[in-house]
Amino acid sequence: MADELELLRRANPVPADAPPHADGPLDRRAERHLHRLLHEQTISPPSRELRGSRSRRGVRLAWGLAATAVVAATALALLLGGPSTPHAVAAPRPLVVRADATPVPLDRLAERAEAAAEEGGPALRKGTHVRSWSLGMSDDAPPVTLPEERVVRWTADGRHTELVVATDPRHPGRPVLGEDEDGNPRQVEDGHVISDTTYPPSWSDAPPHSRPPHDADRLRAYLEEAGHTGSMDTSQLLDATGLLLDNWTLGARESAALVRLLADTGGLRPAGQVTDRLGRRGEAYVHDGTGLRRMLIVNPDTGAVLGLETTFTRAQPEYGVAAGDVMEYSAWTR
Amino acid sequence: MSDDEIFAAAYREHYWAVTRYVARRLAGHAGEVEEVVAEVFTVAWRRRAELPRAPLPWLYGVARNCLANAVRGQGRRRRLLARLGNDDAAHGRYVTSGPEAEPPGGWVHEALARLSAKDQEVLRLTAWEELGVDELAVALGCGSRAASMRLHRARARLRTEIARLGPAPAAPHRPRPATAVDATPAKEHGHG
Repeated sequence: MADELELLRRANPVPADAPPHADGPLDRRAERHLHRLLHEQTISPPSRELRGSRSRRGVRLAWGLAATAVVAATALALLLGGPSTPHAVAAPRPLVVRADATPVPLDRLAERAEAAAEEGGPALRKGTHVRSWSLGMSDDAPPVTLPEERVVRWTADGRHTELVVATDPRHPGRPVLGEDEDGNPRQVEDGHVISDTTYPPSWSDAPPHSRPPHDADRLRAYLEEAGHTGSMDTSQLLDATGLLLDNWTLGARESAALVRLLADTGGLRPAGQVTDRLGRRGEAYVHDGTGLRRMLIVNPDTGAVLGLETTFTRAQPEYGVAAGDVMEYSAWTR
Repeated sequence: MSDDEIFAAAYREHYWAVTRYVARRLAGHAGEVEEVVAEVFTVAWRRRAELPRAPLPWLYGVARNCLANAVRGQGRRRRLLARLGNDDAAHGRYVTSGPEAEPPGGWVHEALARLSAKDQEVLRLTAWEELGVDELAVALGCGSRAASMRLHRARARLRTEIARLGPAPAAPHRPRPATAVDATPAKEHGHG
């Protein structure tokens, strides 16, 4: 019998000569990263660089829904601290769909959005403004929900700033769960600055940093490249939508293309009207996955995506998770 | 050559080897691999003055730390995710499949998984990254004697687990269809 090392060698899950990681020239992404390392000497330390987008990226990583958007080291930011770890957390309730509202098919909404875009409407802008609630889990404490507001603004010289504060718009002025310098959750004042970072110039020409198209087919290709997926299913498209909106504030035409793409992809069931956590009226569209339900909230007049909520549909008691708990919610504003 | 030039050369030479290292340990989370590799080289860039003449084992050591950081926080989430059935790892798709239906080496993986994390790593570095003892010492951040001892002990423990889990005594030499994993792999380092 072959010895144990030989058996293990044969069980190598990623052989040296197997694609896509076989030796060869660097791909575009690897070249870009090397270029960035060599020419952007002021690159930020990863902990700061990553923390700002932790709530979006980390959660997405955790659920493997669009893992490519993630830097794995963000995980540390979600680790809970020691004895002072807060346990009592006001986790958000899932949004309630109005029973008396007549659902609007997504196709219809796409038509409205296209009509609205023809009349003008807001323009595309790089950067984002998102409020999020995301569940952080650890091995030794119950899950906690971290409410954050993240604002990313780009300047003409290619720099961008990212400000992340701990805040919960449902309870203005009240202390919230934020995180300390080490990324451990703790109670902080409303508006506590988690990170305030200025990044050196970057002119990345790859999605999601390149300008998104305003045509549904081209937008699909763009999002597939951004999400590193092949042909996207509904769940992947929702992931990619989050990724897009975490980088861009869409204009009317891009919003119309996105809602058309969502309608054409299918898998989203019109559920009725909701009022989102920022008090905005929206149409809700639901996608049921295994153990998770995702609800997209869309402006009924313009087709602009207002929010995306992910909720557990099955209890997982040993993880401290009940059916109906919100895993993540993001609300985008201009 | 300046530190920057040496770093760039190491990056170009070893990018794919580091990628494979990470991919082997992020089973089923293919989407995360690129990001972790980027993190590895970002850390390596900051520490480029320390880059040794033979950088790959050192890069593996950096990657090991990056992965440890990533895995510590994600462990609980991963387990829940696997239970919900939403990712590749939950379905065992991370194992390279050959023409046969049975995933090659599935029980070897199982035997490996029964060992401590330290044992697993020293064995993987030896079998998958094909490091010699001196290189192992660099990757693990210990002396050569300690590395040699760790490998020796880990091999013994793996042998024991394989004996428990492996096929019946007559089976080990059963013919297996040729697969990519059967081919003698190129040495993981020293390639261009």
